[in-house]
Amino acid sequence: MLNYVARRLLLMIPTLFVISLIVYMIINMPPGDCVTSQIDELLSRGDANALARADELRALYGLDHSVWYRFFHWIGGVFRWDFGLSCQDTVPVKDLIGERLMLTIVMESCTIIFIWTVSFVIGVYAATHQYKFGDYAASFVGFLGLAIPNFLLALVLLYVGKVYFGVSIGGLMDPEFIEKPMSWDKFVSVAKHLVIPTIVIGTSGTAGMIRRLRANLLDELQKQYVVTGRAKGLSPFKLLVKYPLRHAINPFVADIGHLLPEVVSGSVIVSVVLSLPTMGPMLLNALKTQDVNLAATFLLFVAVLTVIGMLISDLLLAALDPRIRFGAAGEK
Amino acid sequence: MNSLVLSYPRHSLWADYIRAVGGCLLCGLPLLLLPVERWIGLILASGFVVFALFCVRTLLRQKTRYVLSGDTLAADGPWGSLIEWGRLDRMKLAYYSTKRDRSGGWMQLVIRSAGARTVKIDSSLDGFYDIVERAAQAAEACELELSHATRVNLRSMGISVAGQEETV
Repeated sequence: MLNYVARRLLLMIPTLFVISLIVYMIINMPPGDCVTSQIDELLSRGDANALARADELRALYGLDHSVWYRFFHWIGGVFRWDFGLSCQDTVPVKDLIGERLMLTIVMESCTIIFIWTVSFVIGVYAATHQYKFGDYAASFVGFLGLAIPNFLLALVLLYVGKVYFGVSIGGLMDPEFIEKPMSWDKFVSVAKHLVIPTIVIGTSGTAGMIRRLRANLLDELQKQYVVTGRAKGLSPFKLLVKYPLRHAINPFVADIGHLLPEVVSGSVIVSVVLSLPTMGPMLLNALKTQDVNLAATFLLFVAVLTVIGMLISDLLLAALDPRIRFGAAGEK
Repeated sequence: MNSLVLSYPRHSLWADYIRAVGGCLLCGLPLLLLPVERWIGLILASGFVVFALFCVRTLLRQKTRYVLSGDTLAADGPWGSLIEWGRLDRMKLAYYSTKRDRSGGWMQLVIRSAGARTVKIDSSLDGFYDIVERAAQAAEACELELSHATRVNLRSMGISVAGQEETV
């Protein structure tokens, strides 16, 4: 296993470097920079010193250096938890992302736990009650979840919450806790507000997972060893848990790697709709204003989450099921 | 059965050394050359420890020779062990791959006999097949229950073990 961990880690480090390089270069590709729009605004107001101000701002943000210099300066700063200055408010990126990053991690973690828990229970129920009412109901809910875009579900819940229950669903905490340090009351407020975003973002992922788990488990349940076990008089629970469930859960575990980036990118529009103070809306704004340091930092975090998710799922799979696959050839 | 003396081939050991040193440099150089935030430093230091352990493991492999005989498998070297086939109480054959399609991977055999230290052998070892075949015979003789993964991996190597059909 040490061999496996070392090889996977060795792949991870250059992967993260290459992703951050590509992302940084792509964000820099469009013509102009984050100062351009600020200067256009000053010129439209008739500010005679606008062009001189542009040079000052470019020097401040390091835009007078080559893109390679800026990249290596930025990536060097990452080790010091210093991601440079954001063009939007001329404040360090680390100050802008602090609480948002934490809230995003909390929200995404809750979403993933929701997806796993709900889809595991419903998927197993649907497979063990094939073609019964419960199976049809789970399939119907699953297809609904797949078909309804997250942002639309968010809008519907906003409307229903406001019109029928008189509650505001937007935000991740009550207004009085915004910009306040963490306290027990703030924690409770965040926990209450997390429910709706978690359901909205998690629904589509849950639907996909239910379908996959149901299909895998049905495949296993139809195999000969299950029939033999049933004929020998094993209890249905033992017959389900001992082998079929264990095998059917492998693709479930393998999905962790895809789940993390899907949840992060899938939550951007929902966060805008529900006014959630997470990284998504800020990333969108950073990309629109060509705020390279801020956008690259966000995307680096997404890449780190993806790579860590892949590592966790690969390690779990290697530990749970170290079988050779059909067509996979060993080195020796 | 005549004794077979087996060891890891030089190219496989060198590849592992290159991986270990590469990993140590990737994790260690930023720690040495850059001012690093505390918890990022912790992550890098953990990575460095993993690669350092990997380097030590490779060194142990280089210094170890495996002597396969009809009754025993002796791992002769630092952290050595003696597996008595007649007292085998653990056998696991796992397959690992870092590729998404799980091709181009390697096997790992884990065996232990009562009272002895566990021995882990990778498929890059010369004569790996002979050891696995002997271990499978011993597992059969000792009526050891093998995991599903081990049975599948044994079958993929063309080795069958009687009494290890799919059971529930």
